[in-house]
Amino acid sequence: MKLVKFKAILVLFIAAILLLAGCSSSSSGDKTSDGKVKLRFATWDVGDDVSLQQDMIDKFNEANENIEVVLEAYGSEYDTKITAGMGAKDAPDIMYMWNYPQYKDALEPLDSYIEKEGAEYKDNFYETLWNYNSADGQILGLPVGYTTHVVYYNKAIFDEAGVDYPKSGWTWEDLQETAKKISNKDSKVSGFAFSGKPDPYDFEMFLWGNNTSYVDKDGNLNGNLNSKQSVEVFEMFQNMAKDGSAIPTEGSGSQEMKSGKVAMFVYGAWGLTPLKEAGIDYGVVELPSFKGGKSVSILSSSGVSISKNSEHKEEAFEFLKFWTNEEANKERIGFELPVLKSVVESEQLEQDPVKSVFYSMLEKSDGYTPASFIVEDWSKVSENLTQTFESIFNPSTLQNPKEALDSAVE
Amino acid sequence: MQNISKKRTSYQLINKKVPYLFILPWIIGFLVFTLGPLIFSLIMSFFNWPITSEPTFVGIENYKTMFTQDPQFYKSIIITFKFAAIFVPLNLAIALILALLITQPLKGMKFFRTIFYLPAVVSGVAISIIWGWIFNSEYGILNYILSLIGVEGPMWLVDPKWAIFTIVIASAWGVGIMMLIFYTNIKGIPTELYEAAAIDGAGPLRQFFSITIPSITPTILFNVITSVIGALQQLALVLLLTGGGPLKSTYFYGLYVYNNAFKHHQLGYASANAWFMFIVVLLLTMVIFKTSSTWVFYENEVKKEGKKGRRKK
Amino acid sequence: MKMPKGFKIITFSLLGLFSLYFISPFVWVVLSALKTETEVFSYPPKIFPEVLQWKNFVDAWNSQPFGVYLKNSVIVTVLTTIGQLLSCSLVAYGFARYNFKYKNALFILMLATMMIPWDVTMIPLYMEFNMLGWINTLKPLVIPAFFGSAYYIFLLRQFLMSIPKDLENAARIDGANEFQIFFKIFVPIMKAPLILIAVLNILSVWNDYLGPLIYLQDQSKYTLALGLAAFKGVHDLQILPIMSITLVMIIPPVVIFLIAQKYIVDGISGSVK
Repeated sequence: MKLVKFKAILVLFIAAILLLAGCSSSSSGDKTSDGKVKLRFATWDVGDDVSLQQDMIDKFNEANENIEVVLEAYGSEYDTKITAGMGAKDAPDIMYMWNYPQYKDALEPLDSYIEKEGAEYKDNFYETLWNYNSADGQILGLPVGYTTHVVYYNKAIFDEAGVDYPKSGWTWEDLQETAKKISNKDSKVSGFAFSGKPDPYDFEMFLWGNNTSYVDKDGNLNGNLNSKQSVEVFEMFQNMAKDGSAIPTEGSGSQEMKSGKVAMFVYGAWGLTPLKEAGIDYGVVELPSFKGGKSVSILSSSGVSISKNSEHKEEAFEFLKFWTNEEANKERIGFELPVLKSVVESEQLEQDPVKSVFYSMLEKSDGYTPASFIVEDWSKVSENLTQTFESIFNPSTLQNPKEALDSAVE
Repeated sequence: MQNISKKRTSYQLINKKVPYLFILPWIIGFLVFTLGPLIFSLIMSFFNWPITSEPTFVGIENYKTMFTQDPQFYKSIIITFKFAAIFVPLNLAIALILALLITQPLKGMKFFRTIFYLPAVVSGVAISIIWGWIFNSEYGILNYILSLIGVEGPMWLVDPKWAIFTIVIASAWGVGIMMLIFYTNIKGIPTELYEAAAIDGAGPLRQFFSITIPSITPTILFNVITSVIGALQQLALVLLLTGGGPLKSTYFYGLYVYNNAFKHHQLGYASANAWFMFIVVLLLTMVIFKTSSTWVFYENEVKKEGKKGRRKK
Repeated sequence: MKMPKGFKIITFSLLGLFSLYFISPFVWVVLSALKTETEVFSYPPKIFPEVLQWKNFVDAWNSQPFGVYLKNSVIVTVLTTIGQLLSCSLVAYGFARYNFKYKNALFILMLATMMIPWDVTMIPLYMEFNMLGWINTLKPLVIPAFFGSAYYIFLLRQFLMSIPKDLENAARIDGANEFQIFFKIFVPIMKAPLILIAVLNILSVWNDYLGPLIYLQDQSKYTLALGLAAFKGVHDLQILPIMSITLVMIIPPVVIFLIAQKYIVDGISGSVK
């Protein structure tokens, strides 16, 4: 019967697939074919940054006969990817990390490793950075880079309006005045731009500047987020949006800044290269201070961590050390602000007109703990805060800050 | 005669196994790649699983939280169904209109066909960037063009009233796929049917309702079901374009589940969310399917009378 | 067929209107890909670039191993298309042309697989692929396609349901077996929908990046869509490379579409007679 033939084809077809499946497990595993220890290293960076990282890794692999590090670049989908990997117990051995409170249970504590390197090793990193690379009192990552937030200003717009460039030591009142002078409805120039949907993590620095914060030591929002000083901060930003001297932006504001129509905005070191590429002639200046308050910034820091499930933690730490040593800090200087005091000194970054600003902000910002390190389920709280902040700054709602914050603490 | 009936019986004997042989690939695929993960996620919906550490059993706690303590759950359901109610009919109508247009025997149709199909080819990452660019209220292209003709454009992605329409506009851009499905089907309708109708004096409109529509009802059913599923699961565009905003006005159910899983690391809870929607969509599909017997005509199921009129030569 | 003049005018104005909606964002992408960074972001928007920056394409292509990605994308796309065509035609035929026990239940079950939210089955599926040793290979992207996808099976079944039943009965009376009927009679009839499915599958596999993101690890395994996504960082959006690679990436699916549409037209009108 012909049907037999048909069956035979089907069976063959399925067998072929299963066979294909069977003889496959050669490529995975933690050893490469030549017996080296294979370490997976995940990065969130993109573009030229990744090329540089690959070059550095090649150097490491050459120098270390028994280790082979393989770079995995996931860009903006980084969190999805490593979360999936952690869930399936197949996380990369080494991972870039910043959100330690959320990932802490999957990361290897590094205190004992660091101790072996001696106190001098640890002291060469800026102290503040250790706090940002820890959770629950344990160090979970070695600092690789950081940024504080500063004010970027578009020199061309200032020149055209005949207004002096801002100087360090200025106040928010100065900023508002400047913004008002520069804003021009007809030519669509905005004096200042701030995110209309700010990441609560970043926004907390403004509260710090006005001597308050989202939560107290025990994580209570009430009496803190809705304190008088906090409400003042929100009112100030809202008023700028209302009187037209500032625009609340849909994203971080960098896209608007790139249009060349925005005079000032607050951003991290991420803007340095992209803004230059977009042809913006910019300067940077420290954050303004509040009346009776301070100029203080939150840190966005990045570190490298080891997965708790890694089978080669010793080798991984070797790589971590390489990745954070002086040479690596110098190599990355075009992409990351160095985190080692010795490098900052030898490269004379304190004298650099742009980069020095980030370091002076760093010095001013020691001793603050972001709410994300205090509050237990920060990601949920953060989501609710985002919505509250948005309702205050969104032009179609412009909710009263006091009321909005009061209802948010409930 | 006897010979034939003998053959029939022998064919009926094989017949019992043959159909299963045909669908065997899918059955194997289902058992190997789908069933396991499906059961796993069902089990997980009874656990608290923070991903970075081990799951713990919590019974029906996730479902209880979802139904009684999570206002966002209901809000996301309402928004999602609102989106589906606008998007599904609109998308179907546009796809059908486009398909009809491009089947007209006019010059230049190949060109138009390609244009309508083109957006469907653009990858999701780029689509979200393009629309974000166009719809930016302050410095976007669309509002710039509107300002040239003296219109002050709405705040597309900032004003909650507009955001859902913005998503509809952006998603409808990919309608080319559905258009192509309709088009393939319409092209398959034998031209003799139209010729006969034209001889009977039926105008284009009559032809459309008495020939085209009945002939493509099976594909209409397909497009309805798949676009309902697609709309209720819409994730990529809101994730990349609005992030659920402004003010959570586009915080669709798909995004709600995704964020619970990957942002808040509550995979157990997300599984409960997902299973709820799974059941809802399944029931909805079954209802659509049941009602379809009244309006979908399958040639191989048509009753004797109908068969005569619509039989192919 | 003659068409009234008024009807023609309506048709063309509708075509024009829709074209505007579909093509203008696209034109903007093309123009942007040829600009400098400054021109791309400047406001008021510059419609045309001062000098056409063809080197954007070269720079973008060379910034990552796109040659390797292209190879991987082609492998995955070709293999999945073969797999889908083989498996879906068999399965859809089974569902459309036979009556058997549990048919409706199985069919509903199959439809249900389209509704499973991806987020929660992805991790267990990852575990399964990991056990099989498929992670960081193209297998998780390719092999499932050989077992059919509900979407295409459903689509094909709808087409097959529209073909009169007497077709295979006549063949059976003539003594053809079931396999012959499927292969000799139905495969030719299914030509147009099968080409449609090939086009749709090429499109979705070519642009899929969540699958590759989750199951692939190092760059030597990446597909084009994943390479494209890698231009998007958390803080940095590399707009020119994204636009130019997007444009390069649409060429193969569009060429395939141009070829396929001829067969979609010819396919059916010539077959069911």
